[in-house]
Amino acid sequence: MIKKIAYTVGAIALLFGLWGVYVRLFEGEQSANYGSYIGWGLWVAMYLFLAGLAAGAYMLATLDYLFNIPQFKGTGKAMLWAAAVTLPAGLASIGMDIGHMERIWKVYLQPNFSSFLALMVWGYTIFLLLILLSLYLAFTRPEQSVMKLVMWIGLVVAVLVAGGVGFLLGGNASRLFWHVGLLPVQFPVFALASGAALMLVLVGWFGPKEDHGNRANQLWTLGILTVILSVVKLYFLFTDFTQSLYGGVPENVQAVQAIMFGQYSFSFWVVQIGLGTLLPILVLVQPKLAKNDFIAGLMGVLLLIGYAVARILIIVPGQVVPMLPGLAEAFSGPKLTFEYVPSLMEWSVTSAVLGGAILALLIGLDRLVRFTEVKK
Amino acid sequence: MSNPNEATLLNKYASEVFAGLVAPALEDMQVSTHPAEDLPAKEDALVRMNRELKRALEKPASERHWVMVIDLRKCIGCSACTVACIAENKLPPGVVYRPVTIEEVGTYPNVTMKFLPRPCMQCDKPPCTDVCPVSATYKNEEGVAVVDYDQCIGCRACMAACPFGARTFDFGYTYTEQLPVMDGAVIGGESAGGYEHASQEYGKEWARNSRHESPIGNVRKCHFCLHRIKDGILPACTTTCIGRATYFGDANDPDALVTELINKPNVIRLKEELGTEPRVYYVV
Repeated sequence: MIKKIAYTVGAIALLFGLWGVYVRLFEGEQSANYGSYIGWGLWVAMYLFLAGLAAGAYMLATLDYLFNIPQFKGTGKAMLWAAAVTLPAGLASIGMDIGHMERIWKVYLQPNFSSFLALMVWGYTIFLLLILLSLYLAFTRPEQSVMKLVMWIGLVVAVLVAGGVGFLLGGNASRLFWHVGLLPVQFPVFALASGAALMLVLVGWFGPKEDHGNRANQLWTLGILTVILSVVKLYFLFTDFTQSLYGGVPENVQAVQAIMFGQYSFSFWVVQIGLGTLLPILVLVQPKLAKNDFIAGLMGVLLLIGYAVARILIIVPGQVVPMLPGLAEAFSGPKLTFEYVPSLMEWSVTSAVLGGAILALLIGLDRLVRFTEVKK
Repeated sequence: MSNPNEATLLNKYASEVFAGLVAPALEDMQVSTHPAEDLPAKEDALVRMNRELKRALEKPASERHWVMVIDLRKCIGCSACTVACIAENKLPPGVVYRPVTIEEVGTYPNVTMKFLPRPCMQCDKPPCTDVCPVSATYKNEEGVAVVDYDQCIGCRACMAACPFGARTFDFGYTYTEQLPVMDGAVIGGESAGGYEHASQEYGKEWARNSRHESPIGNVRKCHFCLHRIKDGILPACTTTCIGRATYFGDANDPDALVTELINKPNVIRLKEELGTEPRVYYVV
């Protein structure tokens, strides 16, 4: 039943998204709401989220294939598949964001390696190849040492690319909100947390039915892991914001205030903190609830939504404060604003990306990498 | 004494001591009695800067150090520079290279306005160039940060990195698109399109025929009007400034007006603490 609903949601999301993809590809970026002052919006945030999800999923696949933790036996292939789906989805999201996507080959053939963005494109390409190689080995020779070697390399690369995205933002000394939070440290933790949330969904909702006993234990362990990571994440947020507010540098204070009390306060308090963090923590610390398939999966979905919103609330507030006093009013024109709410077209494209990812994930789980097949 | 009236006047109005010192000096001097407007005019800064520009262009490009100096005491916030820049570079809606920020300073009734024209700072250590994944934006040999529109992939990383908000993205807007057309009465996009198709930035013609052609989909920025400079013409913002508040020239020329101006203590650069070493100076 849940699977049918998931297929339906994925299909509807993809269908709604096709409109946005058409508009983006054939009419350009005018109907997006990001602009010249807030240049990175929903699609960049979704790239951070989905690429982080891929890194996290890969990290969790190592529980099976690298560290041989008995409780997670049989989950590795599904997590590798999740990584193989979410990474291209993230790259599709960022691809839609660039003005000349037909020139993306230049990043491979004419790269500027002093650009962290170029390094990330290369890093994610290598990571994608490692995911595919790991998946291939998972089917062909999961027990051999070559699998372990590849997983080790993949694990290191996953941490590096997850942290690298943090650097992509944090390296901008001119954007204080990104610069002070030590994002390269935070992002691998975010990635692992979102990977664990995704695993809750996959195991809880789509795990093998005949393996109910083990699944309850998996869910309980994952629940604890998720709670710990969520608490760590909350602590990062707390230190980040208190440091910014206490330091009192206006640009940084304004960004934090925009999140906590300004135009993003609902998304922050209700979605990210309330539904996306506190509620899952409260539910998942209770063994009875955490071991319930449906509830665990539902908490996983809520956590994922919370993490996605968290990425948006890192990307956008870093750009909402004018670089110079009066810049917002200095010149009028389309896209010269420091306010940002994603447009319908942007949501539509994101819907296509997520819908496509959901369908690909489900089809893969059904036909390619069933949990039951890899049960040892 | 050639003009006894003036000496008498001095004697009459100046103190005894002053008149005693000065009057003898006037003995053999021809002092004009003509109205002030007939006096030899002081050379206009533009004339001097034009001369200095030509002098700088005789040097190899790498030996020039273009700087812009903006005298905030003279700026009246008319935005003529902004408009001139738009006209010169045929900037579409939403793309601006040189806005003028306006800040109200003080508390009523003791208030005043502060104007700050903001071109690209042409930083010597620009945070915007290193971040470009394909080296589409870089400092050219004259030290001006340029954008290779044909290379730019439109990722906007440079926009995120610029501490001055000096880069804007070309979303493909035009002024005349979707306007109604009626021959002889209303000029629509097709009729007036010539104006919007004629950008000559970087010495090349940039067509605006389709939504996918550069510079649409690219990040754009002030380039000190390089296409004018190479022909010995000052940047549009400089020549248009009605208050002569904007100066431009080669800071490697010890006799240049800009060199004179930036070597005084009443000069600042924006966000010095970031260490980007801007080439735009403000006289305060």
